[in-house]
Amino acid sequence: MTDRTLKALSLLLSYPTAELQAASPEIGDVIAGDARLTPTARDALCPLIEWLAQGEIYEVQEGYVTLFDRTRSLSLNLFEHVHGESRERGGAMVSLVETYRAAGFEPATSELPDHLPVVLEYLSTRPAAEAQDMLQDAGHIIEALGERLSRRGSPYAPVFTALLQIAGARADREAVAELLDQPDDDPADLEALDAVWEETEVTFGPDPNAGCPQVRDILARMDTPTTPASVTPGAAE
Amino acid sequence: MSHLLDRLNFFRSKELEQFSNGHGQVTRESRDWEDVYRNRWRHDKVVRSTHGVNCTGSCSWKIYVKSGIVTWETQQTDYPRTRAGLPNHEPRGCSRGASYSWYLYSANRVKNPLIRGSLMRAWRKLRDTMQPVAAWKALQEDPILRASYVETRGKGGFVRATWDEATEIVAAANAYTTKTYGPDRVFGFSPIPAMSMVSYAAGTRYLSLLGGTCMSFYDWYCDLPPASPQTWGEQTDVPESADWYNAGFLLLWGSNVPQTRTPDAHFYTEVRYRGTKSAVVSPDYSEASKFGDIWLNPQAGTDAALSMAMGHVILREYHLDRQAEYFEDYARKYTDMPMLVRLDEADGNLVPGRLLRASDFDDALGEDNNPDWKTVAYDEASGRIVTPNGSIGFRWGEEGKWNLEEHAGSAATRLRLSQVLDTDHDEVVGVRFPYFGGAASGNFVRCDHPEVLTRDVPARRVTLANGEEALVATVFDLFCANYGLDRGLGGQWVTTSYDEDMPYTPAWAEKITGVAREKIIAVAREFASNAEKTQGKSMVILGAGLNHWYHMDMNYRGIINMLVMCGCIGQEGGGWSHYVGQEKLRPQTGWQPLAFALDWNRPPRHMNSTSAWYAHTDQWRYETLRAGEILSPTAPEGDWDVSLIDYNIRAERMGWLPSAPQLRTNPLEVGKAAKEAGKDVKDYVAERLKSGELEMSSQDPDAPENWPRNLFVWRSNLLGSSGKGHEYFLKHLLGTDHGVMGKDLGEEGGVMPKEVRWHDEAPRGKLDLLVTIDFRMSTTAVYADVVLPTASWYEKDDMNTSDMHPFIHPLQAAVDPAYESRSDWDIFKSIAKKFSEVAPEVLGVETDVVQVPLLHDTAGELAQAEVRDWKKGECELIPGRTAPNYVAVERDYPNLYRKFTSIGPLLEKLGNGGKGITWQTGAEVRHLRDLNGEVQEEGPSKGQPRLETAIDAAEMILMLAPETNGEVAVKAWEQLEKPTGRHHAHLAEGAHHTKLRFRDIAAQPRKIISSPTWSGIESEEVCYNAGYTNVHELIPWRTLTGRQQLYQDHLWMRAFGEGFAGYRPPVDLKTVTERLNDDAPDRAHVVLNFITPHQKWGIHSTYTDNLLMLTLNRGGPVVWMSEVDAQKAGLVDNDWVEAFNINGALTARVVVSQRIKEGTLFMYHAQEKIVNTPGSEKTGHRGGIHNSVTRATLKPTHMIGGYAQLSYGFNYYGTVGSNRDEFVIVRKMKKVDWLDQPATGKVEAAE
Repeated sequence: MTDRTLKALSLLLSYPTAELQAASPEIGDVIAGDARLTPTARDALCPLIEWLAQGEIYEVQEGYVTLFDRTRSLSLNLFEHVHGESRERGGAMVSLVETYRAAGFEPATSELPDHLPVVLEYLSTRPAAEAQDMLQDAGHIIEALGERLSRRGSPYAPVFTALLQIAGARADREAVAELLDQPDDDPADLEALDAVWEETEVTFGPDPNAGCPQVRDILARMDTPTTPASVTPGAAE
Repeated sequence: MSHLLDRLNFFRSKELEQFSNGHGQVTRESRDWEDVYRNRWRHDKVVRSTHGVNCTGSCSWKIYVKSGIVTWETQQTDYPRTRAGLPNHEPRGCSRGASYSWYLYSANRVKNPLIRGSLMRAWRKLRDTMQPVAAWKALQEDPILRASYVETRGKGGFVRATWDEATEIVAAANAYTTKTYGPDRVFGFSPIPAMSMVSYAAGTRYLSLLGGTCMSFYDWYCDLPPASPQTWGEQTDVPESADWYNAGFLLLWGSNVPQTRTPDAHFYTEVRYRGTKSAVVSPDYSEASKFGDIWLNPQAGTDAALSMAMGHVILREYHLDRQAEYFEDYARKYTDMPMLVRLDEADGNLVPGRLLRASDFDDALGEDNNPDWKTVAYDEASGRIVTPNGSIGFRWGEEGKWNLEEHAGSAATRLRLSQVLDTDHDEVVGVRFPYFGGAASGNFVRCDHPEVLTRDVPARRVTLANGEEALVATVFDLFCANYGLDRGLGGQWVTTSYDEDMPYTPAWAEKITGVAREKIIAVAREFASNAEKTQGKSMVILGAGLNHWYHMDMNYRGIINMLVMCGCIGQEGGGWSHYVGQEKLRPQTGWQPLAFALDWNRPPRHMNSTSAWYAHTDQWRYETLRAGEILSPTAPEGDWDVSLIDYNIRAERMGWLPSAPQLRTNPLEVGKAAKEAGKDVKDYVAERLKSGELEMSSQDPDAPENWPRNLFVWRSNLLGSSGKGHEYFLKHLLGTDHGVMGKDLGEEGGVMPKEVRWHDEAPRGKLDLLVTIDFRMSTTAVYADVVLPTASWYEKDDMNTSDMHPFIHPLQAAVDPAYESRSDWDIFKSIAKKFSEVAPEVLGVETDVVQVPLLHDTAGELAQAEVRDWKKGECELIPGRTAPNYVAVERDYPNLYRKFTSIGPLLEKLGNGGKGITWQTGAEVRHLRDLNGEVQEEGPSKGQPRLETAIDAAEMILMLAPETNGEVAVKAWEQLEKPTGRHHAHLAEGAHHTKLRFRDIAAQPRKIISSPTWSGIESEEVCYNAGYTNVHELIPWRTLTGRQQLYQDHLWMRAFGEGFAGYRPPVDLKTVTERLNDDAPDRAHVVLNFITPHQKWGIHSTYTDNLLMLTLNRGGPVVWMSEVDAQKAGLVDNDWVEAFNINGALTARVVVSQRIKEGTLFMYHAQEKIVNTPGSEKTGHRGGIHNSVTRATLKPTHMIGGYAQLSYGFNYYGTVGSNRDEFVIVRKMKKVDWLDQPATGKVEAAE
């Protein structure tokens, strides 16, 4: 294993168990010693590590389930955010599994291949440059998730800041903005949600050739390029 | 993707070639863009599966799998082709099904077993030092610990658990409940076995081995049309959709075929090209309406008025003014119309009474077997009263005469339909008929005709065995009088004019329904005239739009009358097509032993859900409808004006309806005590019920020992979809936050029920444990204590059938279940295993005492020719005759798992069967032993066929069912030949050697084999059509007369005025009160009738939280309203509104549409509160679901039992959960509050 920090971040995003609680100091040590992270970023991770180490296990677990299992906009399955429930998702996952296999690994988990802790554990075994590339590709998702978590004041937010620092590059601003435009289960975003669902008013006549406003909108939306399909090199088609 | 860089703009290649007349072109450019398509078609395998929400579609789909991941799905196109001249079935499928694979990997998915955190915390602490059952006991006996998780239901707070731990909690709870209260306190609810029959059977097999209660769904969903068992003695049997293509006239009535039966709708489109005419009856301009050559839009809920007026026209023009020969012949042979009814005298007035029986006459007309169950008629030739073959008395206790041949015993006979000729009657008498049109409330038209209409009927005087003289009339003559037809006999309330405003004329119906009389007359004429010309090829497709009303029986019987008058039932291209709820589990008799563990012990515990939920969610405590309000003015003397729950308790006591729980005392204790007393359980229980030492649970549903304690919900969204009285479920059954705004009878000072024990303080939180098994976080899962992640439809092996087509389909595990999920079969298997490990702590081999009602299709259906209540001293308590039966069943709890995973010995010992016939099935069990292998392990299952996997279970169904095993089909038909005395086996002989296996149906959908379980046949000549074997094979309908029963003569039917069909306006549920609007009386609002049709973006094949489907509509809950009503309430399209009444409140956006008729509010069924539902201003909690403003209301006539076709059967007869008579106040919301701030430290149900 070459990158213990990525492995540590993978663990921090995993479902908290007694074993994880016990290992928290060790995780803290690994992170404290990684110079790729700014001191602020390292400090910012302390509350999470502390919460994991000392929080009552059921509260910690309930918190995790509510955030990551039950909240669609915080899902740790990366493709949820780019492919959602679209037909490309299956294909993208296939590519990712094939990437793992090409590197000599067989997934041995009930989680899907695009689950962030799975991706991070994989990257922890890869050369730094490759890991950086892949993290950069997913940068906009990581940034958006971090942003949503920090809006909630969640101690998990700094994990995503740390990942971006390791990636070593800023995510594509436009892509982040687009993701953040998506409805979040956050109070601040609900106005946006209303806007998303709002339909153009249908008006009839007097000009029968003016066309249907909904069709016009759909066509306009089709003209806008969609989110790039390639999130990770493995997923590129 | 831009191809600008790949394309030459300024050059044309010299190599450019064209071919195929310029349609093809050779290019030299990059064709990378094609890779998208190449990749899409690159897959490792294609697997056949289907979607099993609650869809009758049963469409075969190809599932594409690559690297163990489902990539997409397309429609299968390899259905066996139909016969020449008939369009093929395929392609079948719809947008809802096509969006399904996107669920598999959705963030909505339940990934791990989840347990409420507070429960887990308490459990682990106790479990550290205690055995599992002891730990659960300690948890339940500590009120603070129990409340810690009960009160947080629906408020988040789940933690993950391992399968081992989750199943241990469930098993410990089941064992504790069984030991402490009785196994019947463990309830399980799962609907629609046909959609995934092995998954259904997994749960009910576990419950049936345990002694738990299997809850019905068809009646609870209100999809069961009670008019079907009333008329035909059949739950529901309908033509397949391909048979629409054979119809000459199609009447769509309250069914929205293109929207809700999408894969079948093409037959409807296609047949119109053949020239078939179609009329559509729908209050709103539905998708179906535009298919109609004529569209009738009655006010919702007044359909019976429309059908009665059409019946009036048909009778007048095709039976009276001119008698259509085909119709007359059909009426004589296949209906109860010639049967004789006694006219009862009360205070000098006559009312239609019971059908006369052979036993009423001297020497019982020579009948010594069941003469009190043989109806009589006049023979035309001899003028004598005869006992024609086929009535139900011939079905039991003798052979050879239960058929519809025109015979009375050995003598040929021709029954007289009418006594209208002067020579045929002795006198013309006035007979009283009830009329309910004056009872209309709300915005329904009230008419001022009197509540009793006396009409003249021709009658004969006959002398009875006891020397009494009685007046008798034929059903036909009474039937005509009921329709208000003047036959020249004089008297009042009959007419020859369609324009007179008199009940059941077109003019009268116009006033009530708003449909022009000319349209009514035109449709009636065309319907009948087509039927006469084609010998019955007029069809009615009807649906939930009619059936979900309190008086659905009238809506349906009005239409059934039209079909029967015109000889359409049992004729290809004709008949009654009720497609609501997926009831047709084609290989039913093969499935029952698996599902209810009949191979190990009999009988199982079945319960009608409506009565159970009504009692256990305490909806009865808030009842606003008194029986007196719906009683007939012509009811005989009696103690009729009591509460609806009183009727239910009486019905259970007399053995009519089942009970759950059954006895207040733990049945295992009863079994033990009976054994110690050295008595047969039947006698033991009877004695103690009489003395009062034992008490039926129904008398006191609020006593803690009578609560349901554990509830499994699987393949279902009970709380988010079908739970009428949703808020009552939350308040009383679950004990969490709720939106009930009404007060109970105690607080209101209402009239108290008589038979039930009243507790001033209603219990809150009756359930100890709610286990939801689902693959998505449904509303029910959100409220559960334990959520178990199950396999979805591309992740399990199972089978699926439909009433819409005759094929049997598989579901197959294209991939392993995602995350930690397991198939339903594996889940219940692992619970069974854990239970067997945990149980010995408190349970061993026990004697359970099972209570069984008088069942349809058994000799028990002849139990009660008269209504007698043992409790009132009207008769002796005889179990199985005047009361439920009580049967001892041995439960070997430590070996429950071994029994679950093997096929038990009772099939070889007792045989198998269904619907009143039984056959030996040893050969099939032997074949299964060869096919599935034999159990090698020591124990009670050693040497029995194995039942380890879902495929083993599927093979068991396929092997045992006549529909999928030709050898069994032949045996089954041969058994039916005994009572009928006719040859039937020819219907299956050609298929003798056909035996379908799971792999066969995986290769291609297979057509099933004709079987006596169903009334239609599979053949190369005709489409499947219900009633076909009754008409063409002369097999009687399973009714009192053996014929289509248009007159219901049971005492309770007569008391409630439903002897004959008629118009009954919706009932007044009084749920909109002045007080409710007190908080803002001046705010603009409107009061509307609330109805819940099925939608385009969910329900069949997928759920309403599917993001793709949400995107196609408005992304959250919506209600639909007319422009006029919107204006009244100051609303514009897309406003947030709140709809409420005393039952609760819901929030939604409003769709303002010209489509909707004024006075009605639509809310599409099952829009869940887990997606974009804000808080309600009225309740302060998250806005409810569509059922937040409803409450189930029971109807006494649905409780009748022990009386021929009116006898209980699981999902066959019983109370139904109607919900369309409700009204709501609708107003704009001031402020939309999403309730995202954790109010109590926890988020509410939606996340």
